[in-house]
Amino acid sequence: MIDSDAASVVTPTVRSVLRRALFWIAMAVVAIGLLLAVVVISRAGGSSIRLSSTNAAPQGAEALATVLADHGVAVTAASSLTNAAAAITNPGETTLLLYDDGAFLTDSQLERAASLAGTVVLVDPSFRQLKATAPELGQAGPVSGALKADCGLTAATKAGSVSGGGFGYRIIDPTVDAITCFGSGDAVFSLIQLHRTAGTFIVLGTTDALTNEFIAHDGNAALALNLLGSQKNLVWYIPTIADVTAASGPTTADLTPSWVIPSLALLAVAGLAGGLWRGRRFGPLIIENLPVTVRASETMQGRARLYEKSSSRLRALDALRIGMIDQLIPIVGLPRVSTVDEVVTSVATITQQPLAQIRRVLVDAAPRSDVELVRLSDELVILEHAVTTAVRPD
Amino acid sequence: MALSGWFVLLVALGVIPIVVTSAPITLVLWLGFVVLLAAADLLIAGSPRQVRLSRELPERIRLGETAHSRLLLTNTGSRAVRGLVRDGWQPSAGAHPTRVRVVIPAGERRAIVTALTPFRRGERRAAHVTIRSFGPLRLVSRQATIRLDGAVTVLPPFTSRMHLPSRLARLRELDGVTRVLVRGPGTEFDSLRDYVRGDDVRSIDWRATARRRDVVVRTWRPERDRRVVIVIDSGRTSAARIANEPRIDTAFESALLLAALATRAGDRIDLVIFDRRVRGRVQGATGAELLARMVTTMAPVEPELIEMDWAAVPGLVRSVTSHHALVVLATSIDAPGASHGLLSVLPQLTRKHTVIVSSVTDPEVRAATVNRATRSEIYQAAAAERALLDVTRVAAAIRQLGAEVVTGTPADLPPALADAYIALKAAGRL
Repeated sequence: MIDSDAASVVTPTVRSVLRRALFWIAMAVVAIGLLLAVVVISRAGGSSIRLSSTNAAPQGAEALATVLADHGVAVTAASSLTNAAAAITNPGETTLLLYDDGAFLTDSQLERAASLAGTVVLVDPSFRQLKATAPELGQAGPVSGALKADCGLTAATKAGSVSGGGFGYRIIDPTVDAITCFGSGDAVFSLIQLHRTAGTFIVLGTTDALTNEFIAHDGNAALALNLLGSQKNLVWYIPTIADVTAASGPTTADLTPSWVIPSLALLAVAGLAGGLWRGRRFGPLIIENLPVTVRASETMQGRARLYEKSSSRLRALDALRIGMIDQLIPIVGLPRVSTVDEVVTSVATITQQPLAQIRRVLVDAAPRSDVELVRLSDELVILEHAVTTAVRPD
Repeated sequence: MALSGWFVLLVALGVIPIVVTSAPITLVLWLGFVVLLAAADLLIAGSPRQVRLSRELPERIRLGETAHSRLLLTNTGSRAVRGLVRDGWQPSAGAHPTRVRVVIPAGERRAIVTALTPFRRGERRAAHVTIRSFGPLRLVSRQATIRLDGAVTVLPPFTSRMHLPSRLARLRELDGVTRVLVRGPGTEFDSLRDYVRGDDVRSIDWRATARRRDVVVRTWRPERDRRVVIVIDSGRTSAARIANEPRIDTAFESALLLAALATRAGDRIDLVIFDRRVRGRVQGATGAELLARMVTTMAPVEPELIEMDWAAVPGLVRSVTSHHALVVLATSIDAPGASHGLLSVLPQLTRKHTVIVSSVTDPEVRAATVNRATRSEIYQAAAAERALLDVTRVAAAIRQLGAEVVTGTPADLPPALADAYIALKAAGRL
């Protein structure tokens, strides 16, 4: 009789499992906390969009916006065309900065944005944006290095020289009334001011000059502050996904009934539960040492395969012959120590077959092919049968 | 904790309210409902940790027979435990049933009977009992594994005991017969009796006849109180299986039959199981105790993957007896190379003792020599003839060194060894 007691329970309790895992749970909590902290600090609530007025990262432009605001310019950040339009109450005293790096706006939206304010600064426009707003200008590829002010524009002359990192533009229509600045040779300019009936339209390619990283270099600050601070109001418009109007036609999500997604989620949960149901083991495995399994006839079979592989026909046949002669000796009534010749003679006498024939089968013949081996083996069997029937006629 | 199939079904059933209401919030509500039910079920379920166990078990059982293990479960908790119990036996213990449904009200006790039909010799163990206690809704269960050792010794089957009655009858025939060779060294004088027709005239005791005025013959009985030492090789060659039985098991069967026979004949049997060290030893036991001790000693012995140390065997036999004995070496004689160790020590043994070397032959090899239909079969027949020739050569060498050789298939070897013993006894060579 073997008894168990309270100490025999092997399965750990939930409490002990938790206690054992406490260190790792604590570590995980600390790690997640650290991760969150890093994320919060790095983002600091601002946007991560390039040249955004609320982005304090090197690629943002918060420094510029803050300085402008400190000097009495009312800076308004807009994230959609509607916001921008709403922010502009007095177009004549407003500068609109438009930087659509994500190409969210359509042509018509671009045209509308360009006509919103008296002064429009279009930063780093793409081919399509230029075509929609200033078809008389064309793109001229990237520009780098410092650029000298080479025009009469106040902002440019005050700046003297700026960081040229960004893009250059070219005038396609020579009849247009334009002021070109910061030339990098080959009629490529980084700043082009057009005179429109509605007001001033400026295309600015030196994006680097506006960023937090480079704003303090060269005359960057002077250029940016004069360009954007010329009016009382500044609307800092960077288009976002909010500007994208809904595509026409229903999507897959519109067509699926509302219960499909929850049902799939429920079935996934059920599948998980099913896995836990089937996967939970009913107690640990019981260990058992298994015995080795060696079949004794394996050596015999291995030897047979060796004979076969090396085509040892004569050796194989001799083994069969020796075995047979050993069996024939008592049948023909010879003593155990008889020689092969004696056996051959008595077999020939008993079976009344020619001596040479018996000798060939039992001793002499060497098989040159597998066919001959099979034939000789058959002859051995026939001979044995003949001897047995001759000795014991029944 | 463990989930049940009902829990999975209940979760999946949530599809119905979700489709009917078409509201995503139903998913959350349904999952909350299911979790709440499961938590309630789990709380109400009786604690499997509070179950105390005890086991009643037969100590030993013969291979092929069935024993019953009784597992008593006492619920010392405050709530009823209804659930599933698994008694953890090793697979080869052949336990049935392995999972039992049981309901144990608080403070009560229930018994589970497991039938054990082991299919391997040796010690079969149970390690632990696992209990799954379900709540009233059978959605979730609490599970605990409780350590509870149990072991049953599975003895060799001794199937060859069916040959015992016929061999005992032959042994009795030796008793009291008048012998042709009355001057044989081993037979002992038993008694005088009246001559009946048919008795050998050479056994007439003339002196007694003269005294009694009636023809009297001497009767003889086989010698008694001889020593028989059985040495079983548990080395690597004994692990090989012939007709799905390891050689060592056949050796055990032969040893048991021989011991049963010899102890009835009044001889003393000693058993040693040896490879490089003594794996089992039975000395000084007689009668029923001898067989019981032999099977208990044999039960846990498995062949070791090491070479038999034949050089130590003469010393081993000397440690058992210093007198003349019948030494039975149960080993295998396969190839001249492998039997070198045996051949080198045989002279030391045969100088003092009568030695029998018993070995199992493979019926497959004999059968392979006859099948010669295809090319591969001819090569196989040749290899089989070669193997038989090797055995014959080793057997001849053993006989030349003065020992007897007994070979046979696993079924034939035990009676063949018994016959060899009876023949030696009849010849008075013990």
